[in-house]
Amino acid sequence: MSDAYAQDRSLVREDSNYIDQALDTTIALTTISFFLGLVTMVDAVGLATSGGALTSFFLELLAVGVGGVAVVAALSYLNVVPITSQRVRGIGVGIVISLLGLTVLAAALPVNMATLLGLVLLIEAASVLGAGILSWQGIFDTDPSPSAGLLAGVAFGVVGLIIGAVVGGTFFPSIGLTVVFPDGTPLVIDFGYLLPALGLAGLLGAATILPREDLGTAIPVAVLVGGLGAVVVFGTIDPGWVWSPGEDIDADFTGHIVIPLFVLLGSVVSSWGTAKARAGYGAVGRQFGSYLVVYLNAGVMLTIMVAIVTFVAMKGLTYALHGFTVGALTGLVLLAPLLAVVVSWARTPAGTAEWHSGARQLFRAIPVAAVGGLAAFLASLQLRGQSFEIPFQFTVFNQSRQEVTLDTAFTITTEPRVGTLIVLISGLLLAWYFKRQYGSLQSVGDQSDRLLAVERWVGIAMGAMTLLAVVLLISPPTITVDVFVTTLSMYVDTIADTLGLAVVAGAALAAIGLLVLAGETVLSVGKPVAERARENPDRLRIGLFGAVGLLAVAALLEPLAGVRPSVGSFDILPVVATAGAALGLVIAVMTAALARTATPATERVLRKESAMALSATAAFVVVTALHVALTQVSFTLAGATIGVTGTLSWPMTMSPYIPLGLEPGGIMPAVVGTVWLVVGATLFAVPLGVGAAVFLTEYAEQGKFTGLVEIATNSLWSTPSVVFGLFGAAFLIPRLDNSESLLAAMLVLGFMLLPLVLITSREALKSVPDEYRDASAALGVSKWDTVRSVVLPAAMPGVITGVILGVGRIAGETAPLILVLGSTLNETSSVDVLGGFRFVGHPPFVDNPALLESSAALPTQVWAVISAGVSGSPSMGWGSAFILLAVVLSFYAVGIIARTYFRRKLDYE
Amino acid sequence: MRRTWALILVVFGIPGRILGYLRGLAGRIGHYLAALPGRAANYLRTLPARIWRTLRATKQVLFGTEPTVPDVVYSAGLLLSATGVVVTFLYDQSLTPYPLVALVLLAVVGWNVLPAIGYSKYQARTAKLLTLFATVATVLTVGFITFFLFEKAWGPVSTYGDELLAIPRHRETGQPRWFFFMDYLGVLPVSEVRLGSGWDPSNAHYSLMAAAWGTVLVTLVAGAVAGPLGVLGALFIAEIASNRVRSVVKPGVEILAGIPSIVYGFIGFMVINQFTQDQFLDAGSSFVGAGLVVGIMALPTVVSVSEDALSAVPNSMRDGSVAMGATNWQTMKSISIPAAFSGISAAIILGLGRALGETMAVAAMMAGGNIFARPLYDVFDAGATLTSRIAITYGSASDATVDVLFVAGVMLFSVIAVMSLIAQYVERRMERKLQGEQ
Repeated sequence: MSDAYAQDRSLVREDSNYIDQALDTTIALTTISFFLGLVTMVDAVGLATSGGALTSFFLELLAVGVGGVAVVAALSYLNVVPITSQRVRGIGVGIVISLLGLTVLAAALPVNMATLLGLVLLIEAASVLGAGILSWQGIFDTDPSPSAGLLAGVAFGVVGLIIGAVVGGTFFPSIGLTVVFPDGTPLVIDFGYLLPALGLAGLLGAATILPREDLGTAIPVAVLVGGLGAVVVFGTIDPGWVWSPGEDIDADFTGHIVIPLFVLLGSVVSSWGTAKARAGYGAVGRQFGSYLVVYLNAGVMLTIMVAIVTFVAMKGLTYALHGFTVGALTGLVLLAPLLAVVVSWARTPAGTAEWHSGARQLFRAIPVAAVGGLAAFLASLQLRGQSFEIPFQFTVFNQSRQEVTLDTAFTITTEPRVGTLIVLISGLLLAWYFKRQYGSLQSVGDQSDRLLAVERWVGIAMGAMTLLAVVLLISPPTITVDVFVTTLSMYVDTIADTLGLAVVAGAALAAIGLLVLAGETVLSVGKPVAERARENPDRLRIGLFGAVGLLAVAALLEPLAGVRPSVGSFDILPVVATAGAALGLVIAVMTAALARTATPATERVLRKESAMALSATAAFVVVTALHVALTQVSFTLAGATIGVTGTLSWPMTMSPYIPLGLEPGGIMPAVVGTVWLVVGATLFAVPLGVGAAVFLTEYAEQGKFTGLVEIATNSLWSTPSVVFGLFGAAFLIPRLDNSESLLAAMLVLGFMLLPLVLITSREALKSVPDEYRDASAALGVSKWDTVRSVVLPAAMPGVITGVILGVGRIAGETAPLILVLGSTLNETSSVDVLGGFRFVGHPPFVDNPALLESSAALPTQVWAVISAGVSGSPSMGWGSAFILLAVVLSFYAVGIIARTYFRRKLDYE
Repeated sequence: MRRTWALILVVFGIPGRILGYLRGLAGRIGHYLAALPGRAANYLRTLPARIWRTLRATKQVLFGTEPTVPDVVYSAGLLLSATGVVVTFLYDQSLTPYPLVALVLLAVVGWNVLPAIGYSKYQARTAKLLTLFATVATVLTVGFITFFLFEKAWGPVSTYGDELLAIPRHRETGQPRWFFFMDYLGVLPVSEVRLGSGWDPSNAHYSLMAAAWGTVLVTLVAGAVAGPLGVLGALFIAEIASNRVRSVVKPGVEILAGIPSIVYGFIGFMVINQFTQDQFLDAGSSFVGAGLVVGIMALPTVVSVSEDALSAVPNSMRDGSVAMGATNWQTMKSISIPAAFSGISAAIILGLGRALGETMAVAAMMAGGNIFARPLYDVFDAGATLTSRIAITYGSASDATVDVLFVAGVMLFSVIAVMSLIAQYVERRMERKLQGEQ
């Protein structure tokens, strides 16, 4: 082994004998013929292809095959990917030989694809038979068992049964026995297919079981595969051949479907037979044969998965992306959190030394390089003022139900404006990310009473402002009671205006003060900056985040009080926030720069301070965006704008259907509906599911009750979705205004999500080791505190993963929605849940009529296309299906990645 | 030759074994029945004590071990308002907000307010009670689903009675033709008139037999696809694949499970139906096409459950086999698969349950049809299944028809619940057995 590893550089070792090599070649041939069976099945290459077209197809295949083998061989020769297995080497050579042979045959013989495939089957049969006979004669050194085994015999028997029945039924349709009942009804017992079926089954079964294993493998395989090949080669079955199973069954099998099926079956069977022979029969041979089939099966499963996803993407991508436009600056803002994630991925050290190898470092650096490159590209577009465009075409279904091809493009513009929502999301993600980085810097460095007093007063001020906001929020509906109160309310309004103005301005001033407090730690002269920064992390924290908090509450207060204090043409609030962001950035850069030369202890603090300052920077940007979002007034500084509307335009998901328009618009109502459904179902099911899991795992005695609940949840899990829909229709709809509604659909999906959350949360809670609980109890911590601060945090990754996967599942559920949400095609307006909230004078004091409306949703959108029949647009269906698939699979991807990550972390810990 | 004789002996021994098993079964049933009166008496005798114990346990969960008066008041308040939410939602929804607000207020008081003023134990109390309510709500959900489905289905059952399962009748005499399937099987001569299914809403004929048979056909095809592929896939993941390969294949199978059924249905509708129409059928839709797609959808269930079963086989058993000189395949065939057999059969049952309840793929691929497949085993025909009948008919049907759909729902629900229970029982038994052997 080790010799071969280091020195054996010939592709196939000399002592590998010719029969082995021939068998390896046959295995390669069966693999190729399996592939060709698939190709002809989906009609990628027609069975009637012949002549030049066939030759050129095989030449292309030859190029691919030889190229692949050659690359592997070269890598093996250079010892980069050492291939030491003789079988793998043999199969590699076999692929080349087989493809060469096939190409030559295709060029030399006047045959079409079907005949060629038949020939391949005959060759495979001959080589299996040859191996069997050689082994039987003792020429080929093998170790066969006395019999090929009952399992193989039964399998061949079943195949024989089917083929015999089909053949018999075709050739002897009317051989039968007629028995007449006393009342005159004749009973026909048909032997036409029965006898050949049983006969062939018995024959093949006996040929497998009775002889020694080598012959018992070779004969049935040769008979079966050879027979299949012969009928194709001799033209008994050609592409134009048609067979009907019977006059009642309205199926007509053509050669187009039968020949590929024959090839697939023949390839699998002969690959099994050849693999057995290659490993010398016996126990080892059976293992090799069976493994080949199992591997093939796994490969087919993966292929199906990849094929479905790629196929939907290919079909739907152009429609889903029509008219997609994004500003380069918006792109950069969107990329920022991603950049943070890939950087943290690249920084993550994992436990084993293996991780330091070059390949792994490359693997970690590649995402950073990719995202960074993209960001740099966007930045260059923005700086050069050069927009970027990829034109493409997509098809729509116009009013007269014809497919029309339209030109569209994927565009990156250079308008320096970013929508407030995108800034909010990106900023929040970044702030949260950096906050996790610095952890808690509390009780580090100097403490002073004055600082604590400042912290307390900031808190009190924020509380008071929030209270004021709540009062202003609730007051409007109570005003219109009578004339007196109306008059009063005018005063209240004026008072609110004045008060609001004063409070917001005051908050801005206080924030400036806090910023000065924070900036003073690093920006003033005196002691060395590094030392001062190390001593005052608390001051930095209170200064920066106190300002963020005050400004955020002030931003909330602004629209409620109807004020927007400004100096000149600048609003005070965003200006202060931007100043804060700038200050945060400066502090972050300074501390990071200082950390490079600091002592280790100082360095740690400085690095954390840097992360803290970055978090505050992101938070200040969020406050600015919040101001824009709530006051609906854009904010421009130094050419860049945080706008009420952004530069991201994605018609498919951001516009509703446009009736009678040439451009088809999009499916925004469905996207919005699905988002609300998912949010509602999660809000309903997750607390219930996690709560129940906590009770069952931590409180309840494991006994009959928990057993009952387990059975109930498992039954709930396997209940079909349409039954949930019926339940919603029978139980919820009569109780919720008697109409199909968003709320009913949310609850039904919540009921479906419940068992998923419960089961996964229970598993997660159970997998928390009892040592954790014992250790906590030994410290005198009460049961509930243990659950809250030890068990739940430890189980949280598992719970979150379960929730994400469960949500992915219900996001694509359709059947219940048809019953409780209603399905619509071409919805023109989306449900407005946020705007639907109103305050009312009776419990529960909030009301939302939008929840009781019916809505569109992504899955029902696809269903509507199907049920619309000929008037449904297939391209729109593919586009919607693609978006739905993308949504669901991103949930799955996030869930699976999170689980792998947490599991690996647990393993290393 | 000796092998042949041995084989023949085994084959001929089978009836004897079955007989022996049946005799043993009869004996066991006899023993069970004989022991029944004693057990019942014992049950009745210990009943009061057990009720007392249950009550005490309930009291302890609800009010704590040594409750003070405020404890009891607080817990009772939470309990009352939670019960109130359920009861008012059932009977008068306009009242629901009141107990709901009360519940939220009480929970906030116990969780935040009382601990803040020094009564920290109330948070634990609140947490325990709220998690209890969550558990009870989960059980109640199952109860409500069962109750309301059956309640809604009771109307049509009492109206139409056995009509709902009616079989075709003779056109002239009006007699039920009990052996109608014999002419579908080609045993009796085909009757003159093509038999309907009994589903004719305009004349108030609502037989669900044809749809039920459609469900059976689709499920059988799906099982034929998902069973072998799934078990082989599970073998690959659990026994053969290296860690790295497994970390690719397993998420792959999971993603297969994650693809929404409507996407499968759309692919089936657009691609597979087109394919079958081009290649071998006059009409695009067929049971075999739908069954194929449903089989792929049921595949992940079979794979993951049987993989769990195979992984539950203790490694010591495999090691023993390998140490005896068996190859890995022999170990799998003779040790792992037999040991995990019950788990694998549970996987197939669960997979069949998935296939049985699958709606959208079938509804998308077979747009309707009211008749039996003809002949009954003709998988190339197309027709409704129970699920697709519900999905397709629901939106556009009259109230009377919609009510009948609930009967279809009850049929599905009961069959799948029974399958799920069997699967769970089989799985538990296997777990117990393997643990016993460890």
